[in-house]
Amino acid sequence: MDFDFSDDQVQLGDAVRKWVDKGYTFERRRAGEKAGGFDRAAWSEIAELGLCGLYVPEDKGGLGMGPVEGMVVMEELGRGNVLEPLAQSLIAGGVVAGYADAATKAAWLPKIASGEALVVLAYQERAARYRLDKCEAKATQAPGGYVVNATKSVVPVGDQADAFIVPAKVNSQLALFLVERLGAGVTTRGYCTQDGSRAAEVVLKNAPATLITQDGLTALEHAIDIGIAATCAEAVGVMDKTMAITAEYLNTRKQFGVVISSFQALRHRAADMKMQLELARSMSYYANLKLNAPAPERRAAMARAKYQLGQSMRYVGQQAVQLHGGIGVTDEYIVSHYFRKLTQLEMTFGDSMHHLGEVSVRMQDTAGVFA
Amino acid sequence: MDLAFTPEEQQFREDIRAWVGANLPAEIAHKVHNALHLTRDDMQNWAKILGKKGWLGHGWPKEFGGPGWNSVQKHLFEEECALAGAPRVVPFGPVMVAPVIMAFGTPEQQKRFLPGIASGEVWWSQGYSEPGSGSDLASVKCRAERQGNTYLVNGQKTWTTLGQYGEWIFCLVRTSTEGKPQTGISFLLIDMKSPGVTVRPIVLLDGEAEVNEVFFDNVVVPAENLIGEENKGWTYAKHLLSHERTNIADVNRAKRELERLKRIAKTEGVWDDTRFRDEIAKLEVDVVALEMMVLRVLAAEKSGKNSLDIAGLLKIRGSEIQQRYSELMMLAAGPFSLPLIREAMEAGWQGDAAAGALGGFPGGVVANAPLASTYFNMRKTTIYGGSNEVQRNIVSQTVLS
Repeated sequence: MDFDFSDDQVQLGDAVRKWVDKGYTFERRRAGEKAGGFDRAAWSEIAELGLCGLYVPEDKGGLGMGPVEGMVVMEELGRGNVLEPLAQSLIAGGVVAGYADAATKAAWLPKIASGEALVVLAYQERAARYRLDKCEAKATQAPGGYVVNATKSVVPVGDQADAFIVPAKVNSQLALFLVERLGAGVTTRGYCTQDGSRAAEVVLKNAPATLITQDGLTALEHAIDIGIAATCAEAVGVMDKTMAITAEYLNTRKQFGVVISSFQALRHRAADMKMQLELARSMSYYANLKLNAPAPERRAAMARAKYQLGQSMRYVGQQAVQLHGGIGVTDEYIVSHYFRKLTQLEMTFGDSMHHLGEVSVRMQDTAGVFA
Repeated sequence: MDLAFTPEEQQFREDIRAWVGANLPAEIAHKVHNALHLTRDDMQNWAKILGKKGWLGHGWPKEFGGPGWNSVQKHLFEEECALAGAPRVVPFGPVMVAPVIMAFGTPEQQKRFLPGIASGEVWWSQGYSEPGSGSDLASVKCRAERQGNTYLVNGQKTWTTLGQYGEWIFCLVRTSTEGKPQTGISFLLIDMKSPGVTVRPIVLLDGEAEVNEVFFDNVVVPAENLIGEENKGWTYAKHLLSHERTNIADVNRAKRELERLKRIAKTEGVWDDTRFRDEIAKLEVDVVALEMMVLRVLAAEKSGKNSLDIAGLLKIRGSEIQQRYSELMMLAAGPFSLPLIREAMEAGWQGDAAAGALGGFPGGVVANAPLASTYFNMRKTTIYGGSNEVQRNIVSQTVLS
């Protein structure tokens, strides 16, 4: 049992933090939001750091790293409230490397790793909410592969991504496909989301598709779990920064002639925020350290972790706004942007109520970190 | 970074599990697993079994006869004991006063007091709180006046847990009223059989006399029982408190009680009630998150590489969880937790066989007998050891200026 980061992991985190501090200022983020929520230039800078290839094997041009490195990186991006969705590259790298055939790996992994191809998971359907087994999208065999018919919602950067990972049913069996955005039969409508990032409605009509795997549910669950672990880490970074901003404000803001950090009601609130942050950090460690565990154990861990993170994000976000008072609800001030990010992350890859249900149905006689 | 214990640590756990399985008396484990009444003999029997093995002072370094385990080994030992249904070691001797005697006592004091603590022969009590000083410990008034080779002690201590069994008591006493309140406190060991010591039980809301008032009326204490220097007792007391960082979270016991809660929920028919089951699920996540937090602190202590300022959080969260599981157990039984029948909380209670169907426990099953009592008792956990509000003050210092 060891929760220390290696020197290499610390260096990796420092490199990302340095880029965030210098290269991804609050002004740049605001500009990115105004420009539609996705900035290809910022994406390229993230790619230049090698981060898109974190989960891509080295012989395919990636870094071949593991969940702890993923956690370190996502936490720093969270701290900077970065709009560009690196979690999607972690998912794409993990899923293609883990489930696709050799030709698909050779064709796609180097592009995913270099950032040249932004590949995103297009799984959300109107009727499914957070359920993964429920899927109306259909795929049928066609000359040279498959074609897919589907409507997928809230696809991250869906109108600018280069390709989608799409779950669709072949007969009654869920399979996973790769669909290129610029291919035939693909239409998209992009929009901004709660936190200022970008998403799109994606409609596929007989769109040509490459099969990743016929065991689609296994791969999709894995994809979601990579996303959950990354989101947990990102959320810890967002909360850590939110906490720091709030503490700074309480320590300097004066009311009734004194700094408001002298008021016990506010001090206790800050202590409760710290509690939620540290519970969340503990469960982000837990999620990421369980990401390579056998599927049933991994799934149970993700549900527990995401439930805790959801609770923590809502508390820390809401209280950060409250403790700031009026300035907290303005668009001009930074804390509202972190609050909106936390709100969106709670509903990304399953909200608290969904994951509580997952924990509830999986409960065994005994429970603990190792059971 | 690695979540798993090392193979050596896993082997260590297996060895502890085997030993506890072979040495923990089954009737004691039965009582603990069902929250039945534990007698003084139950507690001391287990203490002596551990003492004989050299594990009562399981946190002690080798030079004082302890096993010299690191933080992770200590945790594994405590976890295996808790899950097997061992009673919590009464901490006042081996966990609280012993480290102070080791760090600040003279070699003579160490020779005189430590063997009796290590073996479990001598029952120690804690004399910290007073009627006027709750969480504000530095305000203690119990007075010790130096008179030649003795101290004359006058005053009162309170909330002395299991003090009715106490043979010795370690006390914070006031030896000076000058300067800051913290600077006039001394750390004194007092034989509770001394003339002038009176122990009076306090009956708590659960009907049990778990705590006591201890009165000192012109009690003569040899000056050789003073630990360290006069007026430096506050420093020693803080050393004692810093020794109990992860233990107070009691996460191992929480894991055992979570299992019990599920058993009760199944018996009472609420396990399949989604509304109730989700409450258990929330508690399960709380317990796992607390365990992760405890493991982080232990790992940091073991590696020595980074220090964590989250120990204050452990007390708050651990105590909230203790209250919550006791609450959910009671709510699971619902109306059948209402009968409060003290005899039914004793092991082996059979009811009145002659009365037939009316002679049994009227709360459905006898496992429900202690639920309300435990719920009432657990209200103490957010109050003692520095109330959770005081803990929040301490935690806020790590966040705010």
